[in-house]
Amino acid sequence: MSSEALQSGLWPYLLVIAFGFLPSEVWRVLAVFLARGFDERSEILVWVRAVATTLVAGVVAKILFAPAGALAAVPLGWRLGALALGIAAFFLARRSVMAGVVAGEAALVAATWWIAGALP
Amino acid sequence: MPATPRTSGQLFLRGALDALALPAWVVGMSLFAVGSLAGETGFPAGAAVLSTLLIWAGPAQVIFFAGIAAGTALPAIALAVGLSSIRLLPMTMSVLPMLREQAKDAPRQILVAHYVTVTVWVEALRRLPAMPPDARLPYYLGFANTCLGLCAVTTFIGYSLVGALPLPLAAGLLFLTPTFFTLSLAAGARGTSDWFAIGAGFVLAPLSTALVGKDIDLLVTGLVGGTAAYLFGRPRRGAA
Repeated sequence: MSSEALQSGLWPYLLVIAFGFLPSEVWRVLAVFLARGFDERSEILVWVRAVATTLVAGVVAKILFAPAGALAAVPLGWRLGALALGIAAFFLARRSVMAGVVAGEAALVAATWWIAGALP
Repeated sequence: MPATPRTSGQLFLRGALDALALPAWVVGMSLFAVGSLAGETGFPAGAAVLSTLLIWAGPAQVIFFAGIAAGTALPAIALAVGLSSIRLLPMTMSVLPMLREQAKDAPRQILVAHYVTVTVWVEALRRLPAMPPDARLPYYLGFANTCLGLCAVTTFIGYSLVGALPLPLAAGLLFLTPTFFTLSLAAGARGTSDWFAIGAGFVLAPLSTALVGKDIDLLVTGLVGGTAAYLFGRPRRGAA
C-alpha cells in the first residue's frame, strides 16, 4: 500500500476501525454476553481472573522477548535486568508502583543511553 | 449498609483524581509512545488519536501501527491484534459483575466494557469490591474517562513529536507498558495463586511462542497457566 493511500481521506480511519478496533473490541463485547448471570463472587470468575492475570503477564513477556520499535534496539538482558530492578524497587519501597516504574525506567533509559553512545 | 454520602459527581471526581494520582500518567506516557510510532506510518494524527479512543489497548495499537509501518498484510494485522487482545475477554468478564447494579442493559454494559484495559481492570478489582454497588459506576467512569482523555492528548503529542525523541527515551516509553503491567499485577496480587498466575504467564508465554507459534501463544498461555493457577489456589482458598 502506498503512503499516499494511507494519508488520503477516510482510509486511515477506516483501517483503524476495521483492522484495529473491531478485532480488539470483539473480546470486550463478547465478555458482556459471557458474563451474564455470573455473580461477582462466583467460582468461575475466580478462574476467569486467573486466566486474565496469566494473559497480562504473558503480554509482558511477549513485549520483553519480542519487542517492537525502539525497544528492540535494547539487548534482551538489559530489558530483563531493568524489569528486575523495577520489581526490586517496588518491594523495597513497600509496594510502591511509582518507585518501581521510576527505577525500571531509569535503568532502561540509562542502559540504552550507554549502548547508543553519544547522543545529540 | 449506610447510604452513600456522596453524589455521583463527587464519586466521578474522586475516580478522576485517583487516576491522575499516577495510573493515567503512566498509560498516557505509553500511549505517547504509540502516538510517536503512529507518526512514523504516515497516518494522520486524527487516526492515531482515534486508535486510542477506539482500540484503547496499548499492545494492540503497537501491533497495528508497527504492522502498518512494516507493510504487513491487513488481515494478518487484524489477526495479530485480535489475538493480542484476548486478555480483554477475561478482564472484562471480571469487571462487569461489579458494575451490573447500575449498568443493567446490554448497551450500558458494552459502554462499561469499552473502558476495560489493564490499568482500569487492576484498579477496578482493587477498589470496587469495597465500595457500595450504587457508588461504583460513577467512580469507574471518572477513573476510566480520565485515563482515556489524557491518553488521547498524549497520543497526539507523541504523534507530533515523532522523530524528535532520542532512542533511549523512545525505548523507555515502550518499556513503560511491560513495567507498569508487571507492577500493577504485583500490587493487585492477593494470594499465592495470583503470584502463581503471574509467574506462569511470564514463563509460559515464551515457551508457547516456541511450541505453538506467535499467533495462539497467548491463548495457550492464558488457558494453561490460568487454569493451573486456579487449581493451585483452590485448596488454599477453601482452607482460608
